[in-house]
Amino acid sequence: MNALGTLKMTETKPAAVEVRGLAKHYGSVVALKDVNLSIAAGEYFVLLGPSGGGKTTLLRTIGGFHRPTHGQVLLNGVDVGHLPPDKRTTSMVFQSYALFPHMTVLQNVGYGLKIARMGRDAIREKSAAALEMVGLTGFADRKPHELSGGQQQRVQLARAMVLNRDILLLDEPLAALDAQLRKDMCLELKHLQEKVGITFIHVTHNQEEAMTVADRIALIADGELVEHGRARDVYRAPHRAFTASFVGENNILRGTIREVDGDDVTVDVAGHPVRTGRRGLAVARGAAVTLSIRSELVRMGGPGEALHSLPGRYSESVYLGLTTSHIVALAPGTDMVSRVVEDLPQVPEPGAPVVMSWSPGDLRLHVD
Amino acid sequence: MTVRNIEGVAPVAAPLREPMREKLARWVFALPLAFMLLFFALPMALTFVFSVFERTMFWMEPGFTLFSYENFFFSARLENFLSSMYYSGIAVIVCFVLGFPIAVFLRKSVPQVAQHRVVLLFILPFMVSEIIRVFALRPVLQRNGLVNTTLQNLGLIDEPITALLYTHTGVIIGEVMSFLPFIIFSGFLAMEAVPKYIFEVCDDLGAGPVRRFLDVILPLAAPGIFAGCTFIFVNGLGVALLPNILGGAGAVNAGLIATQAIAALDFPLAMAVSAIMMTTLMALLYIGHRLFDLTKILSPIN
Repeated sequence: MNALGTLKMTETKPAAVEVRGLAKHYGSVVALKDVNLSIAAGEYFVLLGPSGGGKTTLLRTIGGFHRPTHGQVLLNGVDVGHLPPDKRTTSMVFQSYALFPHMTVLQNVGYGLKIARMGRDAIREKSAAALEMVGLTGFADRKPHELSGGQQQRVQLARAMVLNRDILLLDEPLAALDAQLRKDMCLELKHLQEKVGITFIHVTHNQEEAMTVADRIALIADGELVEHGRARDVYRAPHRAFTASFVGENNILRGTIREVDGDDVTVDVAGHPVRTGRRGLAVARGAAVTLSIRSELVRMGGPGEALHSLPGRYSESVYLGLTTSHIVALAPGTDMVSRVVEDLPQVPEPGAPVVMSWSPGDLRLHVD
Repeated sequence: MTVRNIEGVAPVAAPLREPMREKLARWVFALPLAFMLLFFALPMALTFVFSVFERTMFWMEPGFTLFSYENFFFSARLENFLSSMYYSGIAVIVCFVLGFPIAVFLRKSVPQVAQHRVVLLFILPFMVSEIIRVFALRPVLQRNGLVNTTLQNLGLIDEPITALLYTHTGVIIGEVMSFLPFIIFSGFLAMEAVPKYIFEVCDDLGAGPVRRFLDVILPLAAPGIFAGCTFIFVNGLGVALLPNILGGAGAVNAGLIATQAIAALDFPLAMAVSAIMMTTLMALLYIGHRLFDLTKILSPIN
């Protein structure tokens, strides 16, 4: 594990969740390999990654729905490897609208308490309070099929939170909702977490959703923890090329190192040299590397500064509402995108020579 | 027209074909109705009609008499009928206890692609004639049969158990053997109304197997379970073959009472027994429908 994968112990409280060397194999298929992760109490933590990358497996292993092939899960400092889901301090919000179809909303929320042998009045009171918290007062006597998708997920939230466990696991809770509702629910989730102050661990493949809710984000792909850090840092300063390709709209350029001079590295991209910072990476002349730069930091046109610009030929623009992406071909098969908010006074003809430029320091070097 | 179709000159044929298809469609919808009328409503009505006919030496003649019902209700037949309901009920319970867990297991633990194949396995016994299957129980259950000799050889019993055959126990064993697959089938269908995620939610909330069954599975699967149980109950009541081969004195069911009445050439009595049996079934179905809405069986997830 490199320095990026190991955890940064900045927390003062004991970690709500600590995962050590966790691996999960299904026969010959490796769903998770050697994941180390620490999630602080009261944190909104997001596991972000492409489908089938292992993030749900990690969440479900933390929740006790899977047994790890090896490795440990510690909740509040206690190894819970042998405990079933209900004996852990976690509760789960499932991806599908996993409600009991034959029970009313109130019964759904109160069922966990009923199992815990709580008194009838206390159940009613607590369930009603939980429903109020998720904004579903007045829906108590409805059946799940009378609710919208968003409402059903709120019922699940209430059902999980009423148990008073201190870690809430959310497995793609908004995946089945439409875009607008998803945005609204994101904010609600964030506010809810701030209000109750318990740890939320949220799995999603949607980066916008992740950015909205997360204090910290962990990127998981191919069963590996690629990178984790504060949402802002992951977006602005991705360490790994995969992160750059998955979060934000980054230009990913491949090149070979021409020269290393202290902290400055010169890389050949499509036959032209560009300069970037070494960032403490071990690099050698002639090595194949990846460069990334967010498309909104790339300017099109104008005389570019040497080593901080690349020439190409204009191919097309894609209007996306708020922003417009201008796509320029640096070489056959190598495109670079400049994303701008304002309309350009003059859009180049397709095939016209243009220069793509950026400020020194915006281009990031990755060695994978 | 055929020639034109082959040549691909459809426009001429199209306006002609449309009403034909419509006419056919109407008939297709009428078909099930005709079937039900011919093979269900009519025989049932006739059963009631014949049950009040006058008995003659070898047949019956039109008339109206409740003599057959009197004959049924004021004789050992009523007692036998009631006890056959009782023992049918026991068979239902045994079938449910043995079969439903299999259905739950199938839905829950067998991979989706293999589920139907496993269900198919339970159809295999039906490839053998029921008479042969039931008859084959005799050498297994009889005084010096397989069960008794095995138990004796193991030293578990000294005297052979004679209660296994020609008794109610024998009939129940036969019923369980014959009807167990039905509770597995209907349970399997019923479990479709129980979404798989439910089990994980129960894991998370800490619902144990008993709570899980009583609070979640039973209410959701009730229509299917009821249908399967009714099917077994009715067959336990009506299939004369089982008590005929495995039963004995007093160990009869409604079906056998009716068959015996036919053997005695008392057709109105046989009809009356059948009518009473069908009324019992209809009452059961009505109660079940009011309680569980049996139409849900065909649209489990809604």
